[in-house]
Amino acid sequence: MAFAGPVLLKRIPDDPAKRRLIRYSDYCATGGYEALKKSWTTPPEDIIKLVVESGLRGRGGAGFPCGTKWTFLPKDLHPRYLAVNFDESEPGTFKDRYLTDYDPHILLEGIAIAAYANRITTSYIFIRGEYHHEAKILEEALEEAYANGIFGKKLPGTDIVHNCYVHRGAGAYICGEETGLLEALEGKRGWPRIKPPFPAVAGAFAKPTIINNVETLACLPDIVLKGAAWFKGMGTPSSAGPKLYGISGHIHKPGVYEDELGIKMSTLIEKYAGGVKGKYRAAIPGGVSMGILGTDQWDAELDFDIGRKYNVLGLGTAGVIVMNDTTDLVLMLRNIVRFFAYESCGQCTPCREGTAWMHKMLNRIVAGFGRPRDFDMLMEVGLSMGSMPGTTICGLADGANWAVKTFLQKFPDDFKSRLKPEQVRGVTLTPAGATV
Amino acid sequence: MAWLVEDRLKPYQSKRVEPYLTPEIKKRVAEKYFPRYPTKQAALLPLFHIIMHEYGYITEQAIDEAAEFLEITRAQVQDAVTFYEEFRLTPSGKYVVNVCRSIACELCGHADIVEKIRQVFGIDPGETTEDHQITLFEVECLGACEQAPCALVNEDLHGCLKPDTFVRHLQQLPAEAAHKGNGQGH
Ligand SMILES: Cc1cc2nc3c(=O)[nH]c(=O)nc-3n(C[C@H](O)[C@H](O)[C@H](O)COP(=O)(O)O)c2cc1C
Ligand code: SF4
Ligand code: FES
Repeated sequence: MAFAGPVLLKRIPDDPAKRRLIRYSDYCATGGYEALKKSWTTPPEDIIKLVVESGLRGRGGAGFPCGTKWTFLPKDLHPRYLAVNFDESEPGTFKDRYLTDYDPHILLEGIAIAAYANRITTSYIFIRGEYHHEAKILEEALEEAYANGIFGKKLPGTDIVHNCYVHRGAGAYICGEETGLLEALEGKRGWPRIKPPFPAVAGAFAKPTIINNVETLACLPDIVLKGAAWFKGMGTPSSAGPKLYGISGHIHKPGVYEDELGIKMSTLIEKYAGGVKGKYRAAIPGGVSMGILGTDQWDAELDFDIGRKYNVLGLGTAGVIVMNDTTDLVLMLRNIVRFFAYESCGQCTPCREGTAWMHKMLNRIVAGFGRPRDFDMLMEVGLSMGSMPGTTICGLADGANWAVKTFLQKFPDDFKSRLKPEQVRGVTLTPAGATV
Repeated sequence: MAWLVEDRLKPYQSKRVEPYLTPEIKKRVAEKYFPRYPTKQAALLPLFHIIMHEYGYITEQAIDEAAEFLEITRAQVQDAVTFYEEFRLTPSGKYVVNVCRSIACELCGHADIVEKIRQVFGIDPGETTEDHQITLFEVECLGACEQAPCALVNEDLHGCLKPDTFVRHLQQLPAEAAHKGNGQGH
């Protein structure tokens, strides 16, 4: 592991007072669009091979190998689309926003490289509706890029004219799910699609489509310039490269920091985020869908193996939320479950009804009317939902599943101590002292 | 997400003569957005962003006109429009205050912000002040958790909020009549 300094944030100063929007000319003056020019003189297949070799995995949550995803595009089927996932609505996640606030061209260069490598006709940057400021920044940056021949021109060696547009969402977390995003792009309600067919075969407008996260694409320019071995030199064997970590909650210096994959959470908190306000109790590793890390998991390595090693769903977006020992974890779980209940798109019964039911139970527990059997019932309802148990279409329900499961497993007493034997007309149904 | 069922007993909002989709709006969408997508339907989100920006809310008549313009059925438009939180079917105040209530903001005191607004302006989430100045909503994560607690006031993000200063800021926002639109009540 060797991290020599920021890769994605290299143009953004640490000192907030010195940060400013990097325009096209500043970007080019610091080596920007060199990678694109280099790729234009390289056969597209070689770029795809390079990305496969680099071990770049998706930064949007699922960690799917980026180059491999690209190879799923059916040969010679056109037009093809690229959908850039800038929905970023997972609570605790703000890395893509931060990057774009200052350095929009690193994303645009990544898009241009991906478009060239994959023979893309149109790229749509799907940005969440709440990001008004960032949408404006991107529109301006796109204007500069068009004026300088980055977009709107034939991809070298083809007759395909590649265009890139911003498409604004309108307030729905589920449009971050890749097929929900495609529906919103097509002007429909953002209901995730049943797969297969996978988007690489039939995605936007039923044409082959690649969906990549903002940060994934922003990694491309440096991979093209410096090579796969350089990229693999950072991180761990299964988790290569640099990573943007967002950190918020009970810490002194919340913000976005860059280091290689696989650093310990304790390092992120102490070296970058100024330490915990108070005493550490628990943390969410990468957005609320991932579940919770316990008090003894303070040193968890933040990489794509975190799920297997620390009983969470995965690294997710690496948006870490830290909680100190004054935090009421029942309230926190209620907050998370309310989020899922509110954002469930409602297509699948286990998700729509289950999240609402769990929210009701947690409201009951918070209000002091929790019943002993609520603990097991919460667990049962939680475990039954998700695409992994096979009961739902998309991964939103898996997020609710893992949040509930890991909170109950790692902090059972926080919940059990709030449950009281049930009484009907003064008669106790569960004997006092019985295990709940 | 919004689950809206059409109330069949409710009288249809009276038509106004002037269209919501003015020729200028149609021209803008036709020139800027139609060429971007293989279907007209895909311009639905951009179109309704424009309608929200112009009128502050979406009327039944606007939905009808959009259906005709995008060459899809009224049901398809309603199906899509009612799904998205930013597309509102009722008028709101001049300033829409969206306070984030998700986890990082709850950890950092979102409840104090909402409580202060409630006390000072006398509105609960979902309500508008009588002078049509401020509408309060609680929303999920705004993607600015490092600035928790935070809120979006119309299009501007306000972070690291303190209840007193934020409320003072809201009180000092320039007063003006609520959004134009056809003046029909909630
Ligand atoms: C409920 C749900 C919400 C998601 N939200 C986002 C999101 O906001 N941004 C994102 O990049 N990926 C999100 N994803 C992951 C995408 O489905 C997809 O895996 C990702 O965009 C692929 O890009 P990548 O391979 O570059 O990571 C979400 C997934 C689910 C199930
Ligand atoms: S799992 Fe939930 S959010 Fe996903 S498609 Fe089903 S109902 Fe919608
Ligand atoms: S939790 Fe409030 S902005 Fe993310």
